[in-house]
Amino acid sequence: MGDHLARAEDFESRAEKKLGGWAIFGSKYEDAADLFDKAANAFKLAKSWDQAGAVYVKLANCHLKLDSKHEAANAYADAAHCYKKSNTKESISCLEESVNLFMDIGRLNMCARYYKEIAELYEQEQNLEQAIVYYEKAADLFQSEDVTTSANQCKQKIAQFAAQLEQLRLPALSTLLARSWTLYQKAIEIYEDIARQSLNNNLLKYGVKGHLLNAGICQLCKGDVVAINNALERYQELDPTFSGTREYKLLADLATAIDEEDLAKFTDAVKEFDSMTQLDTWKTTLLLRVKEALKAKELEEDDLT
Amino acid sequence: MSATFEVYEKQYCELSANLAKKCSSASLLDGEQKKQKISEINAGVDQAEALIRKMDLEARGLQPNVKAVLLAKLREYKSDLNNLKSDVKRIASTNLNQAARDDLLESGMADTLAVSANQRDRLLMSTGKLNNSSNRIRESRKVMLETEELGVSLLQDLHQQRQSLLHANNTLHGVDDNIGRSRKIITNMSRRMNRNKWVIGAIITVLVIAIAVILYFKLSK
Repeated sequence: MGDHLARAEDFESRAEKKLGGWAIFGSKYEDAADLFDKAANAFKLAKSWDQAGAVYVKLANCHLKLDSKHEAANAYADAAHCYKKSNTKESISCLEESVNLFMDIGRLNMCARYYKEIAELYEQEQNLEQAIVYYEKAADLFQSEDVTTSANQCKQKIAQFAAQLEQLRLPALSTLLARSWTLYQKAIEIYEDIARQSLNNNLLKYGVKGHLLNAGICQLCKGDVVAINNALERYQELDPTFSGTREYKLLADLATAIDEEDLAKFTDAVKEFDSMTQLDTWKTTLLLRVKEALKAKELEEDDLT
Repeated sequence: MSATFEVYEKQYCELSANLAKKCSSASLLDGEQKKQKISEINAGVDQAEALIRKMDLEARGLQPNVKAVLLAKLREYKSDLNNLKSDVKRIASTNLNQAARDDLLESGMADTLAVSANQRDRLLMSTGKLNNSSNRIRESRKVMLETEELGVSLLQDLHQQRQSLLHANNTLHGVDDNIGRSRKIITNMSRRMNRNKWVIGAIITVLVIAIAVILYFKLSK
């Protein structure tokens, strides 16, 4: 390890010297770039990620001077990967630079992929709003490149976070309430869209009921009973087999429980579904929200009576 | 009539009524209870006999006219008591018979007891087995659902990879075209290079010839 570190620093210093001094034919940038590359590799082997990242950034600058944007963008991406292990902000800024360069070149595919990476980093940091922003950008780019699966994946994440974020916005003003309605609506639209697209595809049609279930849960969170029943009918039309599934049964039971404002029935239906397949955290959070709303409504009615 | 005789008589009447009731009830029972009742009845019969003897003594100690009446009554009571005794004996004998039959068939009865206990056990076991199998079925259904979810996610991954592969295929077609074009350009370049070489060679030879001619003319002057 110490050996790599020493070699790496050696390379770096030589490259710096090359950059500083005069050179023949202006080939100094190329030589420097070469040396920087070797240095960064050695740093990576020595596991000193910060230094490796810094060297990659210098490498990218060299390439920019050489007017090879592609190489520069790649170097920025490598830098970001190194920084991922230690310092997230640096990594995100490097990825952004890389994305800009790729967009100049026109490699939208790489752009989209790196936007997705940025969004994942934000997701790890639990900064859901930024994550949504970047996932949207990524989804748009994927859509324009006609890579529908990745686009759908990004959109799914958007819907997931949008529905989750709902609660965090509710304690605000009424204007935001109007906006919160649109967040749920957005999630619902996304899920229904994905379900519609998946129906035609032989490979994806088994996932349709999962998507419809998610859309149904978002509808329940909105709390509009008429809309829920309409939605259930629509899903029926979309997919004839949906009514036979346990998911449909769960949604129907929950809708009737909300209609009758019966908390015990709600809990029973959820427990029955959970006994067969474990509910994941997202679904649990949203269903808990619906239950709280139902309880609040019950208490309200008790207060009035 | 003496008061004591009357008292004895009353007692005797009560006792005989009691015994008669007990006899009839004992004939309905069987087994242990019957034996109990019969022993009770026997005790009662002994009591009644003692009462009759006392009444007899009393009666003999009285006036002759009264004595005759009382003795007649006593005879009645005695025959009554004898009937009771024979009743008791009959019941006891049937009881004995019943007891013998019981002893003979006891194993049979215990068997039916054991059999019914057996049936109960078997029912319990079968219910337990049914519960077990329904539990197992539920577990397997859970596992099947998990597998189905796993399959769905696998299919999604496959779909994505399919799209990547198709995209790569298209890109490769593009690359193929570009390579063809670049090959043409390079052959053009090499041809031009050759042409230039020939042209320069020709110009050099022409210049050399021109220099030679000029020198020749210069020198020959």
